[in-house]
This record gives sequence, structure tokens and C-alpha cells, in this order.
Amino acid sequence: MSLRVGSAMVALLVLALPFAAFLLLALVRPLRRSAVGAAVTSITAMVAAVASAFWLSWRAAPRALLQSPSTTWTWIPADGGPMATVGVMVDEKSMAMCMLVTFVSLMVQLYSWAYLHDEPRTSLGRYYAYHSLFAFSMLGLVLAPTFIQMFVFWELVGLCSYLLIGYWYDRPSAARAAVKAFWITKLGDLGFVAGIVMLWVAAGTFDFWDLFRLANAGALPRDGMPLIMFLIYLGAVGKSAQFPLHVWLPDAMEGPTPVSALIHAATMVTAGVFLVTRAFPLFLLVPDVLTLIAWVGAFTALLAASMACVENDIKRVLAYSTVSQLGYMMAAAGAESPSAGFNHLLAHGVFKALLFLGAGVVIHIFHTNDVFRMGGLRTQPLVWVPFVLATLALAGVPPLPGFFTKEAILGGVLEAHLTLPFAMLALTAFLTAFYMFRVVFLTFFRPGLGDSHAHHHVPALMSLVCWTLTVFTIASGVAMARQVLRSGHHGDAPAWLPAFSLALAGGGILLAWLMYQRQALDPARLSAALAPLDWAARRRYGIDAVFVGLYRGALLAFARLVGWLDRYVVDGVLNVLSAWTLRAGDRARRLQSGQPQDYVYGVAFGVLLLFVLAQWRLR
Amino acid sequence: MPLGAYLTLAAAVFAIGLFGVLTRRNAVGILLGIELMLNAVNINLVAFARFWGDLGGILFTLFTIAITVAEVAVGLAIVIVIFRVRRTVEADHLDLLRG
Amino acid sequence: MTLETVAFAGVAVVLLVSSLGVVLTPNLFHSVLWLAAALVATGGVFLLLAAPFLFGVQLLLYAGGVVTIVVFAIMLTERLVGRTIRQASRYLVNGAVLSAAVFVGIVGFLVQAPAVTGRPEVTGDLTMAVGRALVGPFALVLELLAVLLVVALLGALYFARSES
Repeated sequence: MSLRVGSAMVALLVLALPFAAFLLLALVRPLRRSAVGAAVTSITAMVAAVASAFWLSWRAAPRALLQSPSTTWTWIPADGGPMATVGVMVDEKSMAMCMLVTFVSLMVQLYSWAYLHDEPRTSLGRYYAYHSLFAFSMLGLVLAPTFIQMFVFWELVGLCSYLLIGYWYDRPSAARAAVKAFWITKLGDLGFVAGIVMLWVAAGTFDFWDLFRLANAGALPRDGMPLIMFLIYLGAVGKSAQFPLHVWLPDAMEGPTPVSALIHAATMVTAGVFLVTRAFPLFLLVPDVLTLIAWVGAFTALLAASMACVENDIKRVLAYSTVSQLGYMMAAAGAESPSAGFNHLLAHGVFKALLFLGAGVVIHIFHTNDVFRMGGLRTQPLVWVPFVLATLALAGVPPLPGFFTKEAILGGVLEAHLTLPFAMLALTAFLTAFYMFRVVFLTFFRPGLGDSHAHHHVPALMSLVCWTLTVFTIASGVAMARQVLRSGHHGDAPAWLPAFSLALAGGGILLAWLMYQRQALDPARLSAALAPLDWAARRRYGIDAVFVGLYRGALLAFARLVGWLDRYVVDGVLNVLSAWTLRAGDRARRLQSGQPQDYVYGVAFGVLLLFVLAQWRLR
Repeated sequence: MPLGAYLTLAAAVFAIGLFGVLTRRNAVGILLGIELMLNAVNINLVAFARFWGDLGGILFTLFTIAITVAEVAVGLAIVIVIFRVRRTVEADHLDLLRG
Repeated sequence: MTLETVAFAGVAVVLLVSSLGVVLTPNLFHSVLWLAAALVATGGVFLLLAAPFLFGVQLLLYAGGVVTIVVFAIMLTERLVGRTIRQASRYLVNGAVLSAAVFVGIVGFLVQAPAVTGRPEVTGDLTMAVGRALVGPFALVLELLAVLLVVALLGALYFARSES
């Protein structure tokens, strides 16, 4: 058995394990209703999946340059070769994503067992079933060898997001948030599927490897490509919450915190970035679209960062931070440094998940999301160390991973001579450090409630997961540092860049410290000074209102039109016809007077007619 | 007299009988009109029998007369029953077939 | 002006007048009397057409039997005490128009037919011929007629029985 087939089998195993868990939980009702049984099923499958993913990376030998990494089977047959295939594509990107998805999923599922301890037992079974389904969908997405398979799993992932955001479906805000997420991402998906189909019409295949070969050979038609790639990018806009389709991500925080950690930090939202990275050889054909991607990414990053500065809900801050970092990744791709963006994706996945899970710890302690009602945890390092470390990683402090990846992105953007996006990203880095440490100081170090309480009990499982992720973060940061030191200064980035990004991070931290820890600068005065910006940011720049107006306005208008048509045209025609029939029937009924002589009249008339007919014939 | 004369006479009687059927109010009156019409038919039959030397016409007239008698008997019986039930024989009032 | 023509004209006039009397007289009883006259006149026509047997049958059955039955029916369906039976007719004009149209239609056909004036000789005894035919080729018809009469009789009896 050749190695390539072997890798495919292992990849299929990685896919099959969470799917099997999902099937078991979906079909075997007693298993689902028992919370312990459900959790054990799901977590065991996940552990095996993690092991398989690691085995995949370990075993995979480097393949020959022109050998396709995909293994496919026919799905939709057609003359002259199958129209669509299913299978797995095992290359560096998909292996890395597999490890990320399985590992973070496992961490989140373990954490959920403690976090959702108060949930009714039967609901937990549903929760774990959704988690298994999500893991399967996300893995299918990253392992997809064709656009169409990716799209199928793309939609599945969207479905899981809906199910998990709306997990507490009896809360109206949660239900609305789930629907909003679904609708907004659907808007992007419309573009995605249109782009895929148009690409197929132009190229005749969905397969990535074939498409890349055609692109490299220059065999793809030049004319329609910008539109096609833009449409495909739209899918990424929706899924990865780029402006203007970013509005769903903050509201998605209605879901349980572990769900936010998994889906809206590490995995699902990164699908858009993964798409752009995966299809990058095609994007290289359309440099204008890439420039657009970079600009939108940078703008999104800045916009989200500005909104995070005025947010009080800790999960919302993290959500905006995720949007901001996704903008970073997209900007990297747009600047033709997809690997920089991808590395940031992997690193960010781990420490963002840690941030969310750490936030879950304080939410568990204080029973509120509002940072202004937290504080006084200075004396409990076991609680704040993971979170602070992850914040340092996000802010971009060496030797943690965020520093290296952010610097790589900034370098890439600068290399592509995109100066204004670079400025936006730099400002964003400053703001990121600022608002994250604002949260840190307000949540943990403010003298306040926590002091008077006794030592808060944090469930051991939650702490364990957080510390595991912390260790991972530090380890990956150290590994990156060692690699940079060994290879010297990487790329053609200017020498002042590392110092510059460090300065941005340090400046943000300092400002936050001055404002919220030292109380040296009054936040109220600063917001008064930036009053119009502050006012707009607090109202999310009215983008939400635009969407509400569009959807409601357009949909309601359309519904009213259809209703009018239905009542007055469709029903109207039927009603008129039936009324006429009834009236004609009433009039015809008068013929039947019941008087026998009238019937004789009829007979006589008939006879006369026969006479006339006969006379005619005789003539 | 030519055949046509007899036939015309029969046609006239037939038309008068039809007039009676159409216009009479009393049910018995209608039956009288029917009698006239049947008579006209008989005249026709006999005239044809005479002018074509065909005995069949005479026989058919005989049968017609017999059948007419039977019909009148049954018809009048019905009229009497209707009178008993509804206490009227006016054709205008017998409109149970009304749609 | 042969005797036959005069006879025909006379009988025709009587027939037509009495027919009109049947349909136009308001009083029903008078109507029946006019009917009797019309039936007798029809018998006269039969005589003119060399069918004396039929003349006899007509007088016996029609002028005798049918008229009697009708008179009885009238008696049974009138109020003995009280107002006379209204005999006013409805929609006279409509009826007249339609009847006239039917008459014109029939005559239209007659006009187009070739005129037949000659008639074969009257040979043999009509009555004997009718009798022979009735027990010969038309015996079945005779029997069926008998059945019909019995059925009619039974039906009339059934209808006319009293509700007890």
C-alpha cells in the first residue's frame, strides 16, 4: 500500500471518528439522554481523532512535487470523467488544521463538562452530539480536495454554528443570534456557490489540484476570473466576519462560552481564511482582488478594534478581537503572504481559545459578563495567569507566538507596498494591546469584589484545560523563537519591524495600565475628547441597523407584494371564476321552472330546430 | 282530394293540439290537447295507408288508438291522485321538478 | 266540384272548428264536448279515406270511451261547491307563435314533396283484411297490446285506490 493511500486512510479515520460519535449520539437515544454517556462517547472519539491527526502528521512522508495530495472517489458521474468527486486532500495545510481542530475541540469538550455542569442532563447529550457533528464538518472542510466538497462541509459547519449558538433555544436573544449568524453567512455563501459554479463552467472541474495545474499553465480564461474569485471571496467574507458581514460574530456570543471558544475563535471563523489560503494559486491570478482582500482585512481589523475599546461585556470584547485578528489574517493573504496569515491562524486558534475559556472561568466565578462587575483576583494566580499569558500572546509580546506571527504579517503587508493598510494594522496592534489589557486590569486586578470573597472554587477540569493550553502556547512561542534565531532574520522585512511591533504592544499596555490600574488618565475624559468616534463605536457604526433595515424592509416588502398577488391575482382569478360559475348556474337554473308546459316548449323548439336543419340539408 | 290536403289538415289539427298543450292551465285540459295531437297522427297514418295501398297504416292506427286509450286512463288516474294529494290540478302549481 | 271535395271541405271545417273549441273554451266541460265533436269529425275523415272499420273504432273508443273517462276525471277533480275551475290560459301568444311555427315547418316539407293525386283502387273488404292481419302476421302485436291494456288497467286501479 503506497504511502499516499495510507495517509488518505488515516485522514478518513480522523474524519470518521467524530462522525461515528455523532451518529451514535443521534441514533441511540438512551446514550444521548445520559449526559455521562454522551460526553464519554464524544470525548473518546475526539481523543482518538487527536491521536490520529498527530499520527497523520508524523507518518506523512514528503511527496513528489507533481504528485497530487488528493485521493478521490467518484461522486457525480458524467461522460468523460466524473463531474464531482469526494475524497481527502492531505498536505501541510490540512494536516496542521486537523491537529488544530481536533486538539481545540477536545479541550473545549473537556472544559464544557465542568462549565455546563448545571445543565439538565438530557440537554448535554444534544450539546455533545452537536460538538461531534461540528468536529466532523470542520475536518471535512479542511480535508476537502474539491470546491464542491468544501462547500458542502462549509454549509454543514454553518448549520452546526446555528445549532450551537442557539443551544439555549428558549432564550429569545440566543435564538435571534443564531438566525442572524445563519442569515448573514448565507449572504456570503450565495457568492461562494455562484463563484464555484462559474469556475466550473470556465474550467470544467472542481478539483483543487487540477485547478492549480490549469492556473499555473495559464489555461484558465482571464476575463471572468476577477468576478469569480471575488464571489468566492464573498464566502470568506461571510464566514470570517469581514466588513460588512461581521455583524453576526458579536451576537454569536449568546452561545455557551466553550462554543464561542471553539467555533468563533479557533475553527469555524477561520474557514474563510483557510479558503483563501487553500485557493491562493487561483487568487494569484487576480491581483486586484487580492488588494481588495488586504484593504478590507485591514479595515475590518481597525473597525473591530475600535468597537472593542468601548465594550463592557468580556465575551463581546473577545469577539471583536477575533474579528480584528481575522482581518489581520486576510490582510496577510491579500498581501501575498498567505503562510504568514496561516501561521497566525494556527497560533491565534490556540491562544484565542484559551482567552475564551479563561473568560469562562471568571464568568463562572462572578456569574456575569460585565467587566465592571469583576475584579480583585490578584491573589489567585491560578485563575489569572493563563488569561494574562494569552493576552500577552494576543498583544504580541515575545517570546509568545502572537509576536512572531503578527510581525510576519506586518512585514508581508509592508513588502507588498500597501502603506495605508499597514498603518491601519499598526494602529490596530496598538489598540489590541490596549483594550485587551483594559479587560485584564478591570477583570482581575481591580481592587473590588473578589477580595472580600474567600478563595473562589474553580472546577479542576476547567483549570486543567486552561493550563494545558497555556503550556501549548508557551511551547509554540518558544519553538517559533528558536526557529527565528536559528534562521536569522526571515524574509525581506525591514530591520526596524520587530522593534516597532514591540513598541506598539508596549504602548498599548502602558496606556491601559495608566487608565485602568493607576487611574492616572481618566477614561471618561478620553472618551469625551474622542466623542464622535466614541459615540459611533458604541452604536457599532450603525451597520447592524442597516442590515436589519435591509432584511426587514426588503423581505417584508417582498412578502407584502407576494401576499397581494396571492390574494388579488391568484385567489382573485379563482374567486371571479367561481362567482361567474355560480351566477351562470343561478341563471341557468331558471330554465328548470318545474312547469311541465315549459318543458314542452323546449321539446317543440327542438323539433323546430330539427325542421330547420332538415330544410337546410334538403336545399 | 290530393294527399297533401289530408296531410295539411292533420298538420293543422296537430298544431292546434300543441297550442292547447302549451297554453292550458288545467292538467286535464293539457291531456285534451294531447288527444288532438294523437288524432292528427292517426289521420296522417290513414291517409298514407289509402294513398299507398298499404294496410300497415290502418293497423298502426288501430294500435295507436289502443295505446292512447291506455295512456289516457293512466294519465287521468295520476291526475286524480295529484288532486287528492295537493288539492289542485293547475299545472302552474305542479312544479316539484323546479331546479 | 265533386262530392268528395265538398264532403272533405265540410268535415275539415267541422274538425278544425271543434279543435279550436277544445283549446280555446274557458270551461273545461265545454272543452270536452268540443273534443267529442272533433273526434267524430276525425271519424268522418276516416270514412272519406275508405276506412269504415276505423270510423267505427274511433266512435267506440275515442268518442265513447275516452270522452267518458275525461268527463269522470273532470268531475273528480273539481270542487263541487265553490268556484268554477279557472281555465284561463297562460302565455297565449307564445303558444300561438310556436304552434304556428310548427305548422309552417310541417307544411314546408309537404310543399316540397311531389304531389300525389292518384290512388289505387279500393279492393276487398278492409275489415276482413284487418282481421286476417291481426290474427296472422300481427298476432304478436295484438297480444302485446292486450298485455299493455291489462297493465294500464292495473296501474289505473292502483292509482285510484283509496288510502286505507
